[in-house]
Amino acid sequence: MDHSLSRRRLLKGAAVGAAGVTAFSLAGRPTWAAAQGTFDYAKAAESFKGIEIGAPFLDRPGYAAAIAMLPEFESTTGIKVNYETIPYENSREKQVLDFTGGTGQYDIVLVDVVWIGEFAASEWITPLDKFTNDPALADPALNLQGFFPILLESFGTWNEVVYGLPFDNYSGLMYYNKKMLADAGMPEPPKTWQELKDTYGPALTKGDQFAYALQSRRGETQSADSFMRMVWAFGGSLLKPDTFEPNLSSPESLAGLRFRQDLKAIMPPDIVEWDHDETVQGLAQGRVAVINEWSSFYATLANPASSTIAADLGVAFEPAGPTGKPAPALGGFSLAVNSQSQEEKQKAAWLFIQWITSEANSKKYIENGGVSGRQSAYQDPELQQKYPYFAPLVESWNNYGNPVFRPRFPEWPQMSEIVAQTGSEIMLGSVPVEEGVKTIEDQLRPLLEPYIKGDKPKLQ
Amino acid sequence: MGLRDNRTTGVVAAPLSREFSGTRGRPRFNWTAAAMIGPAVLALLLIGIYPLIQAVSTSFKLYQITKPYLGTPWVGLDNYQTVLKDSLFWSALGRTGLFFLLTVPLQVALGIGVALLLTATRWKGPAAVTRVLLVLPIATTPTVVGLIGRLVYNRDFGVLNWMLDLVGLGPVSWLGSARAAMFTIALTDTWQWMPFVALVALSGLTSVPPDIVEASKLETSSWWETFRNVQLPYLLPGLTAVLIIRTADILKLFDMVFVLTRGGPGVSTELVSVYVQRVGFRVFDLGVASAQAVLLLILCNVLAQAYIRLFYREVEV
Repeated sequence: MDHSLSRRRLLKGAAVGAAGVTAFSLAGRPTWAAAQGTFDYAKAAESFKGIEIGAPFLDRPGYAAAIAMLPEFESTTGIKVNYETIPYENSREKQVLDFTGGTGQYDIVLVDVVWIGEFAASEWITPLDKFTNDPALADPALNLQGFFPILLESFGTWNEVVYGLPFDNYSGLMYYNKKMLADAGMPEPPKTWQELKDTYGPALTKGDQFAYALQSRRGETQSADSFMRMVWAFGGSLLKPDTFEPNLSSPESLAGLRFRQDLKAIMPPDIVEWDHDETVQGLAQGRVAVINEWSSFYATLANPASSTIAADLGVAFEPAGPTGKPAPALGGFSLAVNSQSQEEKQKAAWLFIQWITSEANSKKYIENGGVSGRQSAYQDPELQQKYPYFAPLVESWNNYGNPVFRPRFPEWPQMSEIVAQTGSEIMLGSVPVEEGVKTIEDQLRPLLEPYIKGDKPKLQ
Repeated sequence: MGLRDNRTTGVVAAPLSREFSGTRGRPRFNWTAAAMIGPAVLALLLIGIYPLIQAVSTSFKLYQITKPYLGTPWVGLDNYQTVLKDSLFWSALGRTGLFFLLTVPLQVALGIGVALLLTATRWKGPAAVTRVLLVLPIATTPTVVGLIGRLVYNRDFGVLNWMLDLVGLGPVSWLGSARAAMFTIALTDTWQWMPFVALVALSGLTSVPPDIVEASKLETSSWWETFRNVQLPYLLPGLTAVLIIRTADILKLFDMVFVLTRGGPGVSTELVSVYVQRVGFRVFDLGVASAQAVLLLILCNVLAQAYIRLFYREVEV
């Protein structure tokens, strides 16, 4: 049976549906919002009343937003969502063990952008056409085209098949302390990395105060947030796009990694141990002037209860490298349905995913601290005024987003371990940049061999 | 009084014994003993022996759970060869050895010191309170120790650097440099496990007959001579147990280190158990990870036997 309705076909279907509904609205029939209202979740969930579904959540603002909205979903549908908050570092491990052990703990699957290839290729998640083709379960206002294309493509799609809907959506942004910058005579944030290091660095690094912090703790934080960020910013890349051979020893990649070493002069000395928490808190407590962090941390930084600089918080694009364009990190999670779950639970899980990522709920999700993947939410003037991160975020996704910031194929988790290990040794200075890069490339090559030889399709 | 090597005495706990009625009678099964010991044996079989057999079996298979299409064929000793040729495994094992040398001798010395102080002190009230307080670090979950450690050792916000600052020192980057991070996890482990050694040593010291100590004081005024010849022999069985337990603990020490440093910075605190976890649950190569675990089990047993041969002596009164 062909499970895999291609993304193109799905989008085409959605587009036709959208056109139809638009035509309806033009004729004085229900508008999009009204069409959304026509889908009766209570009726759709009638046969699932009382059913319980499991979901892995993280301790991040987007999940807190979903938790705040859960009572509404549960009272409407009678479906109980049992979420389990787990650390990011264990989330892949726990889910993979659930899939391979067949324990059925999670009916909703949390798919990091870099796990989609592994989860889809292993058939652990269900193609969503199973639900979107079912009129009893598909909201006519689902509107897949309403997601930012880069998000649906990166977080939710593998080999042209849609498996997940973007839920917790990140772009790297530059957050800065307006007051610290103004006090140093620089009212505007740095536009380039060079400017950050040469001008802002000396002016803002004094004693126990640092101009910049780049979260670099070993793990995905080191490999993605730190290592790949600097490689891309200077025009480099992990792989050569045509051959999939390692490209870290290219002059551009090496320049980025050498620059990262230079940045250490304006960063806290124990930066290799800083994870997201330390970095966000560094800015929030006024110890650091500028950071590059995920859009999802806006809620923490702008909240006076968790940030002493909430009133002075500035948000902008990430700085540009020698290419002249920002190369922001891309990350985030989609929600998918566990292919091993019971049929009823799969349907119930789908209803929740559809509901929490819907256009109708996007405003509520944002107001509760989440970062929606729906384009329409960012056009709301009221929200635009309330959330200054909207403009740089939307522009980052639309103009600068890099869908292959990290490869999404199944080998990435193993490659990430390799990059993180030697990457942090390079950063510590215990291995020279060139030598470390050679070590990484030597270790990556066997994993990339099937792609280089053409035994596997070059998908990333 | 003297020391008796008890290695060959064959002291057996006899969990499920047989009773003999007379020298020529047939052995009679002791159902009462079996009923009392049976549940423990069953639990041991289920939670100890069965997983062990599974691990040994897995170590001879290709077992990569994220690649189900490869199947789980029997590969003989391939996984063991992979481990033995893996330089990262050996360097992790080397770091674990260094960690052992940094922690256990210090813990034993401090533990004995604390036990001697508690035995010798005349302030019985504070000594009793201290004994209770000694249990607290041992009772703390290693993950919680790691989480508290991240707060205590934070360079900018940590309480340790705040205290150093009060006396004009620091700040120290406890977790941010390779050498300091190894020292920091050793310090944390010592904080948690020194009390265990102290309690074991305390029980050894309380079993020393006071008249023998008094007699030795008449023989010599040297505190060291009394300790070495009178008290230490009573401590050796307990300390041998401590060595065996701590060796096994350190070979499987994961939670505290993972939470505190995640094996970093770089690989500076990647102890062998952290590496095994990485192979098993990040790369999901359970065949190789099982082979690593089995090799560590063998190493642990060899070391335990060595400790017994080298240190274990029973006091003969």
